[in-house]
Amino acid sequence: MNFNFINLQPYTNPQYFVYLMIGLVPIIIGLYHGHRLKIYEVAFSLVFLFLIFDGDKWQQGVNLIIYLLFQLLVSYWYLHYRQNGKNKTWVFYLAVVLAILPLVLVKFQIAFPKAPIPGVLAFLGISYITFKTVQVIMEIRDGAIKELDLSTYLRFLLFFPTFSSGPIDRYRRFAKECNVAPKRDQYLADLEIATRNLFQGFLYKFVLGWFFGTYWLPKISKAALIAGAANGGLKFSWWLVAYMYCYSMYLFFDFAGYSLFAVSISNFMGIHTPVNFNKPFISQNIKEFWNRWHMTLSFWFRDYIYMRFTFFAMKKKLFKNPIRLSQAAYLLLFLTMGFWHGLTWYYIVYGLFHAIAIIINDCWLRYKKKHKEQIPSNKFTKWLAIFVTFNIVCFSFLIFSGFLSELWFGWK
Amino acid sequence: MSNKRRLWQIFGPVLCAFILLLVIFLMPWERTFSKDAIYQAANSQTTTIFKGSRMKQNAFDDGYVPFYGSSELSRLDPLHPSVLAEKYHRNYRPFLLGGPGSQSLAQFLGMQGTAKQLKNKKAVVIISPQWFTKIGQDPDAFSLYYSPLQACNFLLGIKKTSVSNRYAAKRFLQMPETKGVIKSGMKTIANGQSLTSTQRFLLENQRRMLNNEDKFFSTFQLRDRIQKINGHAKLLPNTYSIKALDQIAKQQAAINTNSNSFGINNKFYKMRLNKRALAKLKDSQRDFNYTKSVEYSDFELMLHQFAKQHTNVLFIIPPINQKWADYTGLSESMYQKSVNKIKYQLNSQGFDKIEDLSKRGSEKYFMEDTIHIGWRGWVAVDQAVKPFMNQKNEPYNYNMRNYFYTKKWQNKPGMIKTTDKYPAVENRKAALKEK
Repeated sequence: MNFNFINLQPYTNPQYFVYLMIGLVPIIIGLYHGHRLKIYEVAFSLVFLFLIFDGDKWQQGVNLIIYLLFQLLVSYWYLHYRQNGKNKTWVFYLAVVLAILPLVLVKFQIAFPKAPIPGVLAFLGISYITFKTVQVIMEIRDGAIKELDLSTYLRFLLFFPTFSSGPIDRYRRFAKECNVAPKRDQYLADLEIATRNLFQGFLYKFVLGWFFGTYWLPKISKAALIAGAANGGLKFSWWLVAYMYCYSMYLFFDFAGYSLFAVSISNFMGIHTPVNFNKPFISQNIKEFWNRWHMTLSFWFRDYIYMRFTFFAMKKKLFKNPIRLSQAAYLLLFLTMGFWHGLTWYYIVYGLFHAIAIIINDCWLRYKKKHKEQIPSNKFTKWLAIFVTFNIVCFSFLIFSGFLSELWFGWK
Repeated sequence: MSNKRRLWQIFGPVLCAFILLLVIFLMPWERTFSKDAIYQAANSQTTTIFKGSRMKQNAFDDGYVPFYGSSELSRLDPLHPSVLAEKYHRNYRPFLLGGPGSQSLAQFLGMQGTAKQLKNKKAVVIISPQWFTKIGQDPDAFSLYYSPLQACNFLLGIKKTSVSNRYAAKRFLQMPETKGVIKSGMKTIANGQSLTSTQRFLLENQRRMLNNEDKFFSTFQLRDRIQKINGHAKLLPNTYSIKALDQIAKQQAAINTNSNSFGINNKFYKMRLNKRALAKLKDSQRDFNYTKSVEYSDFELMLHQFAKQHTNVLFIIPPINQKWADYTGLSESMYQKSVNKIKYQLNSQGFDKIEDLSKRGSEKYFMEDTIHIGWRGWVAVDQAVKPFMNQKNEPYNYNMRNYFYTKKWQNKPGMIKTTDKYPAVENRKAALKEK
């Protein structure tokens, strides 16, 4: 008798939601009546985590467990160190480096699969879980986190709805909510939004995302490759332009759909996971775009890289000119983001592209402020700004997609 | 507002939507397709059409004849069967079924929905000896052609377990796609039991939903090749003559193969055979062996299905581009052995309409590229298809032998010669009358 594992990758198909909803029923009834069924919640989360990592993915599961133990060790060691009143900078750096180390190794592993690093293996969600642990270490350093309840911390790290790809929550926010039940009125409002988000997610991911990503994109990709080969040179063609827009739409609807699911399921569980997208394509400039696109990621980078670096550099007086300082900070932020996506040229160029875009944008905003009278500002300029921003963003996604790499070098 | 009311306002619409969806998908919808849609579908070779039922049923009732095959069907040059049938107003139109990787197992599954429509009718099968590799059906390609609807049809169509359907169920279970109640049903059949009433109930409902899905969406994503066919038809002489067609074939092939010395279509050559790929392929097929393969038993499933339907079948066995075979080192004698083994399997069970083109790979412009028939090859195919289609539709009876499902047969080395002595085929019409 062969036993077949059911393996469920989160939110990948409509059936998944049937299982999910069945599992959620007791939680919803409990919360509606003002009870948080913590043990059931944990069991529910563990079952669905298990379903991600069972079958032929068991090695990923083992790796997750080893990874967790390692992260707990680092977090609690650093917490213990801080609780003793000590606060050496190099110890803080060491803790951060240790927390990031597994992710860095995994990124190397993915970039150079021919030279495997023994004992290192990626698992679904490693990037997002790392954001959480690094954040906790930084807040321990600040003294914002003084206590770390083990079970709350674990529930935070393994919080199932956002496990695979965010949105990235904050520990202190999560800890406040996860041990109490919301008031009934509040919870009813949550349910309303959750249901709406769930269905909007269906529309985004399974209908629109499917059309752009599964239906059109392969056809456009094929046409662009053929037209590119025929044209020679840089292999540009109008199909490439079509690819750029189609991929951008796919990326948005697929990821925004996923994020809506994650937020919705969190809400069903009485947790207000922050939203990830807020109409990004109506942004009038790149800065605004990053406040609307993959928000929890950009806020994370803003708080823990941009701000930290700015304070550090000011303290050390590294820059005389505040404008240069902010430019350097942007460069650092977006390059880190590029490297985080993966160690491939197009992710890094993508990061660089956005850094340059936002630096130019800042210059423009300063220039505009100085010459308020001369530069018109009306409905038309507003739409022009949206149009320009949209196209710059889409172009950056074309870089991000790796399609240029496939077009030029035949690999992705 | 009371809480209950609020809850109803939140979840009521969702509940209603689900009920509505269920009702819509469980209702017995009927749909007939327009002539244009059928014509498009017949030449589109999309997997949706391959996996569906309704479109094929509609078409076969409407004078279309299935052409089961694989990637050669997409070599839509001016001499392609679809173009010839259109140009010369034949009494049939080909319905192209198959594409890259649609081997016997996938074809057998795809045939499930049209048993009634093909009863006592005709079909053409273009066999690719390349299917007959050691492992047979490529599992990844199978995923592309796997149709849950046809799997339901297969399971629900079983009246008594037999060697044939047990073998089929076992093979389906080896493929990655079967899931849920279909998988459990396959297991039941593979174990030689019959489906339980719960299984039947679940499968019936699933089939009903899938049938509706097929009816609603099968015209979606059709590939339109009608323009292409009409364009090609204009190139052909107005009165049918083999000589004139051959002339056109030569002309067309000459224009389209001038980039290389293999006689391979320029586009194909440019896209698939760059210098690096070519260097890699040199002598790469020296050890290829099509004589021992599980595919022989999978192929038997197709034959079994034809026998059940009493379908009159024309089999076409294409050659390999000789220059290409010489380059890749593919053994001609091995190829001929596998062809003979296939022919033995056909002949010995009463499938005697075989057009064996396998020795004509060195004829100029016979092949469109490496292994796919084209131009003059299509003209040769037509010389078998045309008289075959002129025959009257008659029920055919075959003598099926379970021996062809055995490992022994699969692993039997290819025969050097097809023997003339087959187990006696009973008088078909007489046998039918007795029933």
